[in-house]
Amino acid sequence: MGLSAYLTVSILLFTLGVICIISRRNVLYVLMGIEMILNASSINFAAFNRFNGGGLEGRMFVIFIIILAAAEAAVALAIVLNVFHLFHSVKPSEADLLRE
Amino acid sequence: MFLTGDIHAKSLGLLAPELVLVAVSLLILVLDLVWKERDSSRLGWISIGGLALTSFLLLLAFGRSGGPEHETAFALVTIDRFGIFFKLFTCAALAVVIFFVMQDRRERKSHIGEYYFLLLGAAIGIFFMVGTNNLLLLVLGLELLSLASYSLAGFHKAERRSAEAAMKYVIFGGLSAGVMVYGISLLYGLTGTLDLRVMAGVAQGEGVTRSLAQAITESPGAVAIAMVMILGGFSYKMSVAPFHFWAPDVYEGAPTPVTTFLAVGSKAAGFGALLRFLAVLFQDGGAAEAVRAYGLQVGSLLALLAAVTMTIGNLAAMRQESVKRMLAYSSVAHAGYLLVGVAAMTSEGFEAAMFYLVAYYLMNLGAFGVLLYFSGETGEETFDSLDGLGYKAPLISVAMVVFLISLTGLPPMIGFLGKWKLIQAAMDPALDGRLLWLVICLVLNSVVSLYYYLRVAKHLFLKQPAERSVRPAPALTGLLVVLAVLNVLLLAYARPLVEWTSASFDLILR
Repeated sequence: MGLSAYLTVSILLFTLGVICIISRRNVLYVLMGIEMILNASSINFAAFNRFNGGGLEGRMFVIFIIILAAAEAAVALAIVLNVFHLFHSVKPSEADLLRE
Repeated sequence: MFLTGDIHAKSLGLLAPELVLVAVSLLILVLDLVWKERDSSRLGWISIGGLALTSFLLLLAFGRSGGPEHETAFALVTIDRFGIFFKLFTCAALAVVIFFVMQDRRERKSHIGEYYFLLLGAAIGIFFMVGTNNLLLLVLGLELLSLASYSLAGFHKAERRSAEAAMKYVIFGGLSAGVMVYGISLLYGLTGTLDLRVMAGVAQGEGVTRSLAQAITESPGAVAIAMVMILGGFSYKMSVAPFHFWAPDVYEGAPTPVTTFLAVGSKAAGFGALLRFLAVLFQDGGAAEAVRAYGLQVGSLLALLAAVTMTIGNLAAMRQESVKRMLAYSSVAHAGYLLVGVAAMTSEGFEAAMFYLVAYYLMNLGAFGVLLYFSGETGEETFDSLDGLGYKAPLISVAMVVFLISLTGLPPMIGFLGKWKLIQAAMDPALDGRLLWLVICLVLNSVVSLYYYLRVAKHLFLKQPAERSVRPAPALTGLLVVLAVLNVLLLAYARPLVEWTSASFDLILR
């Protein structure tokens, strides 16, 4: 398998993530979409590192993306839990006190 | 990459400001648990003391780092004057924000130590974000800043508006950070490195690397996609259209001191990182002809974004009934003005943007401080709640008028000089008048902004004097008067400030 196979998977994953964020009305799916985008970039980094040579930078980035995704999920879920307590819903469309 | 012992010791010495900041933030967290604070001022003063010590170390480093060679800590953090400029800016902004927290009469004082801890944590994120040429560290700094900001926006857990603001922020923030990281992964694939200086061809990387110039000649389309994605991530931090949607809602729902931090500290950090990114990749420093031509195209894209951003911000600001939301849209518009300097893609333009940030600091911190005072007294943030209060709190209200005139960009305030320098940079003869349309757009937008800024003054002074009385706040009034005086004074004595900003910029490439 060449580089292009990995890139195809990564582009598919990225597109699915964006579609997930745009089309779903539930915050939890939106957060999943964000995870998918981050993982798509992980695949890119690992594949480029493997096929283009180079130092450790690409692999290091993958490890840090995993940490980033975990940290972001922790903060985001805490915020969503709080929203659920206050609004009894996790849909952004039902939490709309702030608007024009 | 792998360093020996004494280089480690040297690197740690170079990172002294960051280490002090980390130590102070941890100290705050522990003291909060030990003291169980009800009164916020003790911890607040410790935080401000820590920031003062950090600024002192930064000033020492600023004096040291004038030479042609930059020092780097752990081969990742570049210690140059450009980074130190933005770090000092952050410290100065954060000290005022922490002072606002202490003065905020609507603030419940429980868990106040966490408030300061998160603010200092955001500052550490900014320090790494603006102080590195490495895209990995840039992303990590940006995420540290973002994670702290999400939590700060939702700090009032029992308030529905605050919770909603945090949720909207985390969704937009996560999406744009993801897009930016994907763009960086493409750029890494094209060049084989994460170091901006290796991409620019001014430094030697490890392994097989290619310069941006080669990447552009071989696959211009892929580079364009990567650039747009990365610029998207920066745009979100700077609240530049079309990534500004989060700004009004988050600014309105978040506690006012946090809004102030987002509007000044966080935005400046976004600009700092963007300026470094563009300056290292596209400016002189021996960059190839292909790269420079490409940089001009990026500049045209930024010019378009600047025009759209300022127009959207100003038109929306006119229709607001809440002063806080009006200031939120006004800060979107100011991101557009700042981009005018960036879009010129010249050293003069970048310096003008940096100078405008200093002016923006003085006028916007002041405006938010006044809002903090009045909303603490009336419990509301609408224009109507200000009716006639100008006669009850004359000093603060006059200071507000100064800030508003400065925000509009009229003399004799520093906002005027800031806009003047931006226009000057955009009219540079080297640009052949390509940005003339943008300058016209900027002037027209400033005229429009006069309408909604002066509406505040109208409500303060021209309406029936209010029945209600307001409590005096001597410390806050003092600070706001000082800021207002600086707004006027620095126009007259601008030369040292101008020289300081250009001294901060001109060494970025070496």
